[in-house]
Amino acid sequence: MNDTLITYTLENGLTLLIREIHTAPIVSSWVWYGIGSRNEVPGKTGLSHWVEHMQFKGTAQHSASWMDHSIARLGGHWNAFTSPDWTTYFETLPASALETALELEADRMRGSLFEPNEVETERTVILSEREGLENDPLFQLNEAVQLRAFRQHPYRNEVIGAKEDLLALTRENLYGHYRNYYQPANALLCLAGDVDPQQALALTRQYFGNIESLPLEKQLPAPEENPPAFEQVDLHGPGDATFVEVAWRAPKGNSEDFFAFTILESLLTGPSSLNMFGGGGISNRTSRLYLALVEKELAVGVNGSLNASIDPGTFTVNLTKHPAHSVRTLLSALDNEIEKIQSKPVTQAEINRAVKQSKALFAYSSDNITNHGFWMGYANSFADYSWFTGYVERLAAVTPEMVTNTARKYLRPDARVIGVYTPNGAEAGND
Amino acid sequence: MTEQLFSNDALPGPDDITRQSFDNGSVLLTRPNMSSPAVLIRGYLPPGSAFEDPEKYGIANFMASMLTAGTRKHAFRELHDEIETMGASLSISSGGLATSFSAQCLREDLPRLLALIREVFTEPTFPARQFQRIKTQLLTFLSIQAQDTAAMADQAFDRAIYRAHPYAIPELGFPHTLQMIIREDLKDFHQRFLGPKGMVVAICGGVQPEEALGAFERSLGAWINPAQQPQPELPPVEALQGIIREHVTLEEKSQTDLVIGTFAPKTTGPDYLPAQVGNEILGQFGMMGRIGESVREKAGLAYYAQSELGGGLGPTTWQVVAGVNPKNLNKAIALIREELARFTSELVSEEELSEVRSALVGRLPLSLESNAGTASALLNLERYQRGLDYIRQLPSKFAEITREDILRTAQTYWQPDTLVIASAGEALS
Repeated sequence: MNDTLITYTLENGLTLLIREIHTAPIVSSWVWYGIGSRNEVPGKTGLSHWVEHMQFKGTAQHSASWMDHSIARLGGHWNAFTSPDWTTYFETLPASALETALELEADRMRGSLFEPNEVETERTVILSEREGLENDPLFQLNEAVQLRAFRQHPYRNEVIGAKEDLLALTRENLYGHYRNYYQPANALLCLAGDVDPQQALALTRQYFGNIESLPLEKQLPAPEENPPAFEQVDLHGPGDATFVEVAWRAPKGNSEDFFAFTILESLLTGPSSLNMFGGGGISNRTSRLYLALVEKELAVGVNGSLNASIDPGTFTVNLTKHPAHSVRTLLSALDNEIEKIQSKPVTQAEINRAVKQSKALFAYSSDNITNHGFWMGYANSFADYSWFTGYVERLAAVTPEMVTNTARKYLRPDARVIGVYTPNGAEAGND
Repeated sequence: MTEQLFSNDALPGPDDITRQSFDNGSVLLTRPNMSSPAVLIRGYLPPGSAFEDPEKYGIANFMASMLTAGTRKHAFRELHDEIETMGASLSISSGGLATSFSAQCLREDLPRLLALIREVFTEPTFPARQFQRIKTQLLTFLSIQAQDTAAMADQAFDRAIYRAHPYAIPELGFPHTLQMIIREDLKDFHQRFLGPKGMVVAICGGVQPEEALGAFERSLGAWINPAQQPQPELPPVEALQGIIREHVTLEEKSQTDLVIGTFAPKTTGPDYLPAQVGNEILGQFGMMGRIGESVREKAGLAYYAQSELGGGLGPTTWQVVAGVNPKNLNKAIALIREELARFTSELVSEEELSEVRSALVGRLPLSLESNAGTASALLNLERYQRGLDYIRQLPSKFAEITREDILRTAQTYWQPDTLVIASAGEALS
């Protein structure tokens, strides 16, 4: 596999990244836009995600079914994702059909119609998507916790948007958002797979070269570096299980602290992967919190979540409480473990183990071309591709002292939000 | 039909799949991918959950969950410390007819991981403390699942369509049956049913066939369980009659999940490929085929709406599933039934058939690019006794399917007035 990344920038500002991988006759094409829920304002949440849906509804040149069928009939798959920091569209298909993907993406970069009837149909589809999410107590809990973890920053909002905003947004809101943010200078095209770079560049010029970039009015929130003030939020709902979510401020992806925090997360809640498509994970049964909480039967499950983001985000720990113990006992045991990692240095052996696990997780998904396309754009959303290629090396450079300092700096008991979902009829916090 | 964009030789076939059967009744299939630094091991072996004692429903899955709880050589923590320190993974679960496992490691750790897999299969101790802990985890999972509208609609569908057949029972059992299971039950179940006769394993990734064969032969290939009892034959299912409507009421749910379905053709029978092509048209192709077009794209009633054709050695089902706002439930059911009526009364168009044939063929190299995709495909070759050249024959097999084949298959299996309609969500008005 060739690790070299080829970079071009067209005159209109579109950046093209190519990584040649010739293990299978497949290419994965990704277009990334620098727009996500992070760039939304109060009352207009959910715009970026809704625009993503509308990008599958057809352009002046191509109908929705042409777009869909032209990829599907090749056996390819395509999809899109909206995150707080970015919106991305991908096609993975036989390498000889790359032109189809580029034609489609160039066309919908500026030419989507946003027909009023399609906007209304999609409103109910997105409300349905949100209703599906609301059925899950963990979604409800996360939404409540994130709202309190940030005072102003849009990371406090769910990407899908608030229900009242989804009911109020208009076609003009959506189309204005699209026309502002979807342009070459705010986009990155990543190609991974069995491609000839010169041919790919020629096709990129052919399809994207004539698209003009206009002045971009980008909403940029002030990063919220300060940790949240301590707060506990209690939710009640149907079911028998009690769920707890604890959120602390986490460093942004492109910072030294992030790598120490990644080791810290691995030791506390197990290794997490940067893989978007398959590859599998590694269990967390010997992580510190599993041993202290699940093995000791205070919880029946624990997991952690840390994302590399543009601005400082959150590190969350999710716990499913054991029925025989109280939330108070569970949180007290959690605090003990946090206090331990803040007061007693971790060993170099623990760090080495976390690094080997990270290497293995990359190896497990490196046979998937689609993952390579994802990694290229994802790393560029908050840093650059060297962040990704140097990831394991930078983890290996983390010292025990850095882990201790990071735990002390971020995992403060007075600077976190605790969310508790209690089944109806049970006493909150002490059932 | 779009021109095929790859050579069939790029697909797994007799010249690059190695198949070896062993004296203990197991079979290994392996295909190297030396560009991968990782190795994936996937397999299945008896028993499944279909033949459990009604008082002990869930015992097969409980036993599978306990295999990694400790062995004669390793306590729980030591075992997982060794696996996780390698950066490896191992998971074991139970399905209707078999226990399945999946494991992954870096190339250099393959012999050690295979030895550990043999150890957990042959020397589990079912330690008392872990027994109680895992039982609580399973009970908690069931209580969480009981609030999941999709899972509850699925279970209601299975109860209605399979009735007295073992597949009507959830593989994880019920809270009251899990409570009845004691450690000795697990030990006995393990001793009598878990064994290498009928075990099929695929090893794919960065390992040469001779190395994989050697490592397997020294581990799982040498396992013998003289006490292993054969599983009985599955009973037949009863034919459906009329419309069966089931609804599970769950309070405070924003979305209702819906399953509409019937029995599917046998996976090993001649109707299966026409059904597979037809299913693509009905509710898979592109953004979920005709069902997606009608329910999601035109009516905007659902975030997901698609059809699914089951596969397996036992009786399976052919379903349409959707998640809808409760007030739109009846409208979604009506639209789906309209599409089913069309599917069973009209030939699909030439264009639909051509596009779907191209899609199914074009998807082959994508689905087989990863070690996981290849391993699953190899297991299916053995499970359905298809022969090592089956995947390379698929393009020509899809090309032979006609519009008439699809209509005949649709009419054989979908009868618009003989359906199970199951849903879960807020109370029906």
